[in-house]
Amino acid sequence: MPYPPSRSRSSSFQRPSPGGRSFGGGRPSSRNQQQRKKRTCRFCDAKEDYIDYKNEKRLSRCVSEQGRIIPRRITGTCARHQRQLTVAIKRARHLALLPFVNDAVS
Amino acid sequence: MLQQHKTYETTFIVNASLDDPQIDAVIEKAKDVIIKNHGEVVDLVKWGRKRFAYPIRKRNNGFYVVCIFRGGGDLIAKLERHFQLEENILRFLVIALDKKALQARAAAAEKAKEAAALLASTPAPDVPALVPAPAPPSAEPNA
Repeated sequence: MPYPPSRSRSSSFQRPSPGGRSFGGGRPSSRNQQQRKKRTCRFCDAKEDYIDYKNEKRLSRCVSEQGRIIPRRITGTCARHQRQLTVAIKRARHLALLPFVNDAVS
Repeated sequence: MLQQHKTYETTFIVNASLDDPQIDAVIEKAKDVIIKNHGEVVDLVKWGRKRFAYPIRKRNNGFYVVCIFRGGGDLIAKLERHFQLEENILRFLVIALDKKALQARAAAAEKAKEAAALLASTPAPDVPALVPAPAPPSAEPNA
């Protein structure tokens, strides 16, 4: 057996890709197009133009257990709504409706 | 120079350890500042006592108040100065409501009116004692 194993010209070479979405800024999983689910922005679906900072129940869903804002590549929010969401979350934090840091999680 | 009157929204937190009449007095004083400076209070909603997500001035809860008002630009500086000086107001936030925010408010008001009208018109559903009835979909706005 010759080493490295010979690749036949007919088979297409596929780069190994991480399953699903890549975290930490890895290369995009463009090869697994059948696996990747197209996630739509939930605010666009609900046709919401204004994200209210007073609605802390709604906002707490967009914030992690530690209290950090969940990045948009995980939630699938569109850029426009993510900017509005960030402003709303920061206002809610100022008014103590949301914590800055959740110390309860060790 | 003609002043443009914008709609503003302020949320402020009053010291919860005061008595109810004292809290009302603090709120009235804030309203007076708005009215004295040629403003017009559109809406005032008292949320009541709420727990903080983190302690503010060593306290764990406060009395939240939301006030929507119209006024000129110079009113805002005076109102914020009043909030700063008032000892019993722990935090405040004043924002200008833009077109989208106003539309969202109007839409929410419409929905609330419709829901109230619907609840008033339909008779109360018969709830069997053992099986819990599902919530009526029209009355619950999607939060």
